[in-house]
This record gives sequence, C-alpha cells and structure tokens, in this order.
Amino acid sequence: MPTADLDALVEEARAAIAATESPDDLTRVRAGYLGRKGTIAEVLRGIGKLAPEERSQVGAAANTAKRRVETLADERRAQLEQRATLQSLEEHRLDVTLAGAAPAAGHLHPITRVMRDMVDFFVSLGFSLEEGPEVETDWHNFEALNIPKDHPARDMQDTFYLEDGHVLRTHTSNVQIRVMTGRQPPFRFVAPGRVYRHDLSPRHSPMFNQIEGFMVDERVTFADLKGVLLAFGRHLFGDDVELRFRANHFPFTEPSAEIDYSCELCDSQGCKMCSGTCWVEWGGCGMIHPRVLERCGIDAQRYQGFAFGMGIDRTASRRYGIPHLRHLFEGDLRVLEQI
Amino acid sequence: MRLSLDWLAEFVDLPALSDLTERLEMSGFEDVFVEATGPDLSAIRVGRVETCEPHPDADRLRLCGVDVGQGERHPIVCGAPNVAAGQKVAVALPGTRLPDGTKLTKAKIRGQVSMGMICSRRELGLGDEHEGILVLDAEAPLGTALSDVIAAGPRVLEIGLTPNRGDAASLLGLGRELQALFPGPLRLPESSPEERGAPAADAISLQIDAPEACHHYVARIVRGLRVEPSPAWLVERLEASGIRPVNNVVDVTNLVLLEFGQPLHAFDLKTLRDARVIVRFAEAGEVLATLDGQSRKLDPEDLVIADGERAIALAGVMGGAETEVGDGTRDVLIESAHFAPGTVRFAARRHGLHSEASYRFERGVDPQGVARAADRAARLLAELAGGEVAAGRVEATGRALPEPPEIRFDVAHANRLLGTAYSEPQAVAWLERVGITCESRGNEGLVCRGPSHRHDLELPEDLIEEVARIGGYEKIPTTLPVAELAPATLPAGWRLADQARDSLAGLGFSESMSMPFTSARDLAALRLEESDPRRQPLVLSNPIQEQEGLLRTTLVPSLLRIARQNLSRQLERVRIFETCKVFLSQGGAEEPAEPRVACALLAGNTERRLWAPEPAPPIFFEARGSAERLFSSLGYVASFRSGEIAPYLHPGAGAEIHVEGSTVGAVGELHPEVAAAFEIEVPCALLEVNLDALLELEPGGRRFREVSREPAVHRDLAVLVERGQAAEELLAVVRKAAGADLISVELFDRYEGSKLPEGQVSLAFHLVFQRADRSLTDDEVSKRMDRVLRKLTGSFGATLR
Repeated sequence: MPTADLDALVEEARAAIAATESPDDLTRVRAGYLGRKGTIAEVLRGIGKLAPEERSQVGAAANTAKRRVETLADERRAQLEQRATLQSLEEHRLDVTLAGAAPAAGHLHPITRVMRDMVDFFVSLGFSLEEGPEVETDWHNFEALNIPKDHPARDMQDTFYLEDGHVLRTHTSNVQIRVMTGRQPPFRFVAPGRVYRHDLSPRHSPMFNQIEGFMVDERVTFADLKGVLLAFGRHLFGDDVELRFRANHFPFTEPSAEIDYSCELCDSQGCKMCSGTCWVEWGGCGMIHPRVLERCGIDAQRYQGFAFGMGIDRTASRRYGIPHLRHLFEGDLRVLEQI
Repeated sequence: MRLSLDWLAEFVDLPALSDLTERLEMSGFEDVFVEATGPDLSAIRVGRVETCEPHPDADRLRLCGVDVGQGERHPIVCGAPNVAAGQKVAVALPGTRLPDGTKLTKAKIRGQVSMGMICSRRELGLGDEHEGILVLDAEAPLGTALSDVIAAGPRVLEIGLTPNRGDAASLLGLGRELQALFPGPLRLPESSPEERGAPAADAISLQIDAPEACHHYVARIVRGLRVEPSPAWLVERLEASGIRPVNNVVDVTNLVLLEFGQPLHAFDLKTLRDARVIVRFAEAGEVLATLDGQSRKLDPEDLVIADGERAIALAGVMGGAETEVGDGTRDVLIESAHFAPGTVRFAARRHGLHSEASYRFERGVDPQGVARAADRAARLLAELAGGEVAAGRVEATGRALPEPPEIRFDVAHANRLLGTAYSEPQAVAWLERVGITCESRGNEGLVCRGPSHRHDLELPEDLIEEVARIGGYEKIPTTLPVAELAPATLPAGWRLADQARDSLAGLGFSESMSMPFTSARDLAALRLEESDPRRQPLVLSNPIQEQEGLLRTTLVPSLLRIARQNLSRQLERVRIFETCKVFLSQGGAEEPAEPRVACALLAGNTERRLWAPEPAPPIFFEARGSAERLFSSLGYVASFRSGEIAPYLHPGAGAEIHVEGSTVGAVGELHPEVAAAFEIEVPCALLEVNLDALLELEPGGRRFREVSREPAVHRDLAVLVERGQAAEELLAVVRKAAGADLISVELFDRYEGSKLPEGQVSLAFHLVFQRADRSLTDDEVSKRMDRVLRKLTGSFGATLR
C-alpha cells in the first residue's frame, strides 16, 4: 500500500475517532484500526509481500500511522472521560440548603453544664467530690451543724419533713458532717447536688442545686477562703469579676459572710439582672464553727477550715439568659433544646 | 424591721445615707434601704408665679403666668387666696397624674385657658389643708421634681436582722450598732418617772411559779389616766414601723418596745382578780381568750400570766381580752419581763401567733433593760395620758440568768483564723466599740465579756467575728491556701452518671431535671403490684401540694408527665432523659436507699425526613438501639431478654437488660393502659438503667481481640423457626456451634408472610469466619455451617429455608 493511502487511512481514523461518543465506542473504533485484525495491522502484515526496497519505507510509514492513530485515540479517550466527569458533576446537583441528615441532637441540662464547670475548677485545685444523701437525718442536716431545735431555720416553711423522721436536706452542708465524721484532716472537698426547701415563692423552687466546698487543715484561713472564692468567681464569671464579703450569721460558721460578685452582665452600669446595684448575691461562707468540728470528732484546737455554699441554678440561668428558674425544672423541650 | 430614720437620728448622729446603708449591709445586716414614704411627687414641678391678675369673668379666681423652668409662661387659673406673683409653687402640668389618681388636662375655666394647676397640700396628698396653695422655699430650683425639694413623708429605714442579732431590734440596738460603726454619742430618752400616790406594792402582789421560764418580772402601776387616741407624732412613728395605733396606753407600750426592744404589756388594773399577778405554766384544759378575739386552748407548756383565778395573758406572745385596756380604763399595770426564749418560741409556734413581742423574746431581750422599759412607759403614760405613777416597782425574779461568759481572746488566734496581722490594741479597740469589756489578766491573757444585750458571744470565735466585722471584711487579705498536693477523686457513681448523660445526649435525648415528688395515683397508674417496693414510698409530712406528697421511687411518672406536656405543646417527637437518685424506703429502721438511675423516654416515632420515606419500625427498636449504644459507650456488654418485665411496659415489646447475668435495667414500649392513664397517644418507649447496680459489675466491653491479615469468609444462612422464637437464643446457639473462628454473626433479615408455612418465621444470619494464623478453606467453613444448622434444628426445630 502506498504511503499516501496510509495518510488517507489516518485521516479516516481521525474522523472516526472524533465521531465516537463513549469509551466503548472508542475502544471498538480503535480496534478497527489498531487491533489484531485492524486495518493498520493488515498493512503491517502485508509488508512481507512487498519488494525489499519498499518494505522499510512502507513499514516506517505504517508504524508512524499506527502511532498517530494511537495518539488520536488516547486524546479522544481523555476528552470523553473529562466529558463524563463533567456530566456526572452536572447530574449530581443537590439543594444544599435542605437541612442536614445528622441524627437529632440531645442536650445536656444547663445546670449539668454549669455544675461540671464548677466541679472542674475545684478538681483542678485538688478538691475531691462527695455527694451525701438527699434524704437526711436531723443530726446531719441540723444538729451537727449547730442548728439547734429552736433555730428559725427549722420552721416548717423551710424544711420538708418525712413521716419517718428524716428530712429532705435543706443544703449540701450535710456532706461536711458525712465526710468529716470518723476521718481526720486534711480535708479538701466539694459537694454539688440537689437540695430542697419548702418554699414556693416565685423567685424560689422547692428543689434547687447547690455546691458546697470545704477545706480543713492546721492553717487554713479566712483570707484563703477569700482567695479560693475569688479564683472560683473569676473562673465562672470572667477575669474582671470582684467579690464582696458581707458579714452575716450562719450557725455552722464563725465568722460568717455572704458573698456578692460584681455583676458580669452590666459592666458596673447597673442593670435589671443586678437590680441596679452591680452586685449579685452568690452564697454564704465562713470558717467552720468549732462546735461543728468537735461534733465530727475533730480537734478544733488544732484544726480550722473554711466552708462555703452557693446555688448553681441562678448561675446557670444567668449564663444562658433564662429569665425564670421554673424553666429549668419543667422539662419543656423548647427550652432545653436551646442550650 | 422598719424604723423612722428621723427618730433614729434622735439616738445617734447619722452619717450620709449611702454610708449608713452600705456599712450596715457589710456588717451583718441584710437588705438595708431607706424608703421615702408618702405620695409620689416626682411628676410635680417647681414653678414660679411670674404674673398674677384677677380673672376677667370670676371674682374669686386669678389668672397666673407660671414658669416651670422651660422659659415659657403657662397660663394657669388659680382659686387660692394666697397666690401671689414671685412665689415658688408646686405645679402639675397637663398630663400629670396627681397622687389621688386624677389626671390633669388642659382646661378652659370661665373662658380662660388653664394649662395645669398650682397645688395645695391636700391635692398633693400631703395633708388636709386646703386653705391655699403650697408655697415653697424661695430657693427651690425652678423646674425640678417636687420630690427632690420636699419629703412627702417620714423616711423609713428598712433592715433585715439575722436570728442572732435580736439585740438590734430597736432604736437603742441599732443606735448602739451605728455607734460602733461610726463612733459618736448615743442619746437615750429619759426614763425615770415622777412618782406620786400610794406605793405600787399596795395595789398588787406578784409571784413567779415558773422560775425557769421567767427570770425577771417588773410591774409599774399608773393610776387615773385617760385612754384616748395618741398624739400625731406618736401615731406617725408607730405607723412608720408598721404598727397600728390603738390608743395612748397601748401605743406607749409599743413605742417603748421600738425604743428599747423590750416588749411590754398593759393590763387594766381593775380587771385583775384578787389583785394578784402570777407567772406560771398553764393548767391542763385552761382556756384564754386572746386580744385577737380567739379563744385558745392552752398547753401545759405554755407560760401564762394569771391573776388570782385565771390566765390573763400568754406570756411574751399576746395579752388576754378580758384584761384589755379600753376606753373606760383608769388604772393600768405595765408589765416588763424577761421570759425564756425557747418557751416563747414554742408557744408562738404552737398557737401560730407571731407578734412584735414574741419576735424579740425568742431572740432574747436585754436582762438589764427590763426595769428601764417599765419606767419609761410609766413616765410616758404620765405625760401623754395624764396618769399618776405609783411609787416604786413591783418586782420578782425567777432563776437568775447566767452572767455573760468570760471569753479568752488571743489576737494570735484571731490572726491565725483570719489570715490577718492585727495588733492587740487594734483588735481590743474594735471589741470595745461593740461594748465588749477586755481585761488583761497576766498569764490568762486577755479576758473579755460581752454586754448584757448580746446573747451571741460565747466563744473566742465569736469575738474574732466581731474583730473581723468591725475592722471590716474588706481589710482581710485575699490569699490562696498552701497545702500538700493530693489527688482529687470523683466517686465512681458520679462519673458513671456523667458518662451516661453524655451518651444519652449524644443519642439525641435532652436532659430534664424534675421535682422528686409523686403521688399514689401515679404509682398505681404504673400497674405496680401493691407489694412492689416502688409502691411503698417515703411520705412527706408537709408536702407543697397534698396530691404530690410522696418521694418518687422511679423516674417513670416524672418523664411521662414531661412527655405529656411536651406533646400537648404540639411537639411530635420527644426524646428526654433524667439521671438522678430515687428514694426507696427500707422500712423504718434503716436509712432509706437512694439508688441512682438513668431513665430515657421516647415518644413519637423516629424522625421522618425527606430522604427516609419508608414507614418507621416499631419504636421499641429505637429504644433498644439507644440502650445498646448506651451500654457499649459505658463499656458494658448488655444482653436483652424477654420474660418478666416491669408491669408498665408492653408485655410483647419489652425486654430486661442483663449484664453478666444481673438485671440492670429494662427497655420497652409503654403498656397501653399506662399510656392511657398518662394520656400519651403516640408510640412511646422507655429505657431504664439502675446505675448503682451497673457499678457493681465489671465493664467487660473494652477488650482487645487479635485482628487478622488472613481473608475472611462470609456465609449466609436462612432458617424457618416458630414465630415466637427469640432471636437472641438462636444467636447464642449459632455462636457456640460455629466455633472459635466465627468473628461475627448478625441477624440481617426477619421475614414472615404468606410465602411461609403458617406460624413460621424466616431468620437470616450473616456469619463471618476468620483465623489469625492462616486462611480457612471452603470445606472447613462448610463443615462449621453444617454444624450450625444441625444445632439450630436440634434446639429449635429449625429447617433450612
């Protein structure tokens, strides 16, 4: 076959390859030229019959034609593949503004979140956690804490009494007695949990959460109490927070103080959340009364320590902007799923 | 407690109000503020009468031009005879609401426009004078609020006292406290009366038969007085303190109570039978008609004042009606006494009578002040009611009160407790400011003694508190404690509960925190047997609501109620959980048990989304799936068994959860009767775990197994078994029969339908075999599969499908 015919063959192949519309089509067309029974293979096979002087010329031309067709086919294949990719991209178009398919999320309770934050802080200072019972004896909830029978805190409007003589603990301070009785200092404990008061005024809930902390050793001072609580306050409310200790009276501490923190919401401007005073009541604290230590079998001449207790719920409601405590205890998913 | 601030100023020099309230609040008093009483005058403006001319059409009216600081002249028609140009006056412009509620509008009076009103005292709510307008001080700044210029009423100090500071419940008491905080003079009112007439002792005999409950009793006799309304100043002072004026005699006793903190009582002398006063305990069955009109049956522990025949007052709490001072009373007996705080407290509580008197007796009055108060009252009665004070007091004493104790004070101890570096003279100066005497006694060091009115000073720590308080808590440094490092520990139960919370929240449940109260009705609605420990709850003596008088023994009713409420708010799908303690009675003798449980509730079917349109499977499977995940995330291997399940669960769609052979919980759909009782109309399932029971068991779920590089062989097997056959049991047999090379087996299909024989179900298992050391041959695996089928046939009559 003359080389001019080979050129024509290549041109014919170019047209045929360009006309293919799929990889399979291309494979078939390519085989028609380059396959074992293909046109070019036929030319190559026919070389033997040619005159020797023609052989090398035709052979070289046939090989050239073969490489050209191969290149054409490869190029077409790349084109077709790219086209297929583009097409599949075009076909898989989603409305990405539709909601995601992740399983519905659950939510931890706001109080759980704040309680963990508080516990984390005290664990970082080496305070261990204890819980104590919620149904408590008169001794652990009152008597051992130096709250005698005729103390006003005993009044029916404050305490839930059980028919079997127990009480629902009115504070987490029972844990002091539970922990200290039968053990010897040093003590460094924190006790979060549910407590109960017989009070249904709008600002209160019959159940609420408190965190108690106490530390007893030979030289734990009121100054240390101030330091620990300041660090705690800043952990919870921010580095700029200041504390104020107001003298007060609790039967189980002496000296005693109420703690206020500077309102974290209004930047000393006075706001609704601090009644314009820029101070927010936080809790009570003091040096553990020597009678309490003695009732737990601890030498009050040798050991001294501080204790404090504060509510958790109000901190949670302030942190998340929840206006009423009742929202925390009603189980309304429209509320819980926001936090 | 409320007290007129102006009255307090007669006792001590008052500092600036803001200093007063802040310092009191910092020193142990609560919720201190000064209240301006009287009508709100903040909307009334100070104006100046610029012009004042006769009204053209009315003889008695004037037409004034008034400036209220806006540079504008308001025409105001005024009928007061005393109005004149140049006066500063109180002006109410149109739109202002007067204290009596009327709202001013622009008006035309006899043809002249009047833009507001020049006010009289009566129009401002300041009194009854209506003779003319109120003329203000010429210096009053034009345009300011009237409330900034004049006080509408007495200023009242409102202050909360802690139970240990009953001594401050009077002008004298607060005066003493202010004197300690702001050193200065303390002025006491004159108390000694001018005595005339027959000695008091001739009029009455006095006897204390209950010496342990009445330490001291003083009586004064005032004769020939006239009972009438008190003068205005006295009425105003009582009203500022929230005490209702009665007549001059009763009002005087209340005035002295406010002045000195010593409660007094006045008896009509002529009603006392046998001219006797006896302090004794009530007799069994004795009855007393008290001043509030009630007839009260007395308790033998009630301390009473009696005459020769009967009880005439409940000591320290309330007087009796039959000896009450009234219009016809001419002679009175004034009682001033010191009763035991506990006796008064229990009587007040027993009879539900809490009075100004009982409040103070309960907290302890000053034993040194008893006679002084009687004297002061007698003196005032002579002044205000025209009485003659009989010569002398009639006094009797019961058991002597102990002297205030001697307390050692060591400034080093104070500094060690407070973390301060106060000097001894400094500390002593602070102690002396609250009336504590300090005496240096050689080896004993400093010996201190509190004043007679302070009953709260017993221990060195009490003195240290006074040092801290008067010195100021803000002076105490702020330090961090120095201590040996020791690992902090969290109880295992706490950690497990926290992990369960994380896991359940991760599974789509939201955490609730609900009240621990429940009712017998709710527990019964759970279909629990009468004998079930969960039907024997702890009972509250004083529940908030009668129908919620029990402590919950299970979280199920709480969660059902929460679900019900959420569904009623039109939520279609509720996934909620709570982790807390429930309360189980152990019979009277033992402490109640407080097991910690986790309970999750699912109501409303699995979420339907656009891309998952097929009908939801029974809600049980979502609950069980959640349980599987929960246990595996806690590190436990749980199995699920049908059988005897909680009565509130559906008997055909509930399972017990077992770990290592122990029951640790249950999962199941809600029993239809329970669903009906709690009005839950959508599919609902529960998952309950006893976390305390779980804590006893070894978490076995996190163990390494060798992973193999050899190829795994997968085989499927479908068998027909009886329809009621539990798949879990088949799986157990498959695992056993397949041998050690089985690395997993899964039930991947369950089919029942018309193509199968009646009562049969097809279960299809997918088994995977693999060895670590070599690949398995087809033959080996086929042998194992044959054995599995044989065993299934043998145990369950299974046939190959």
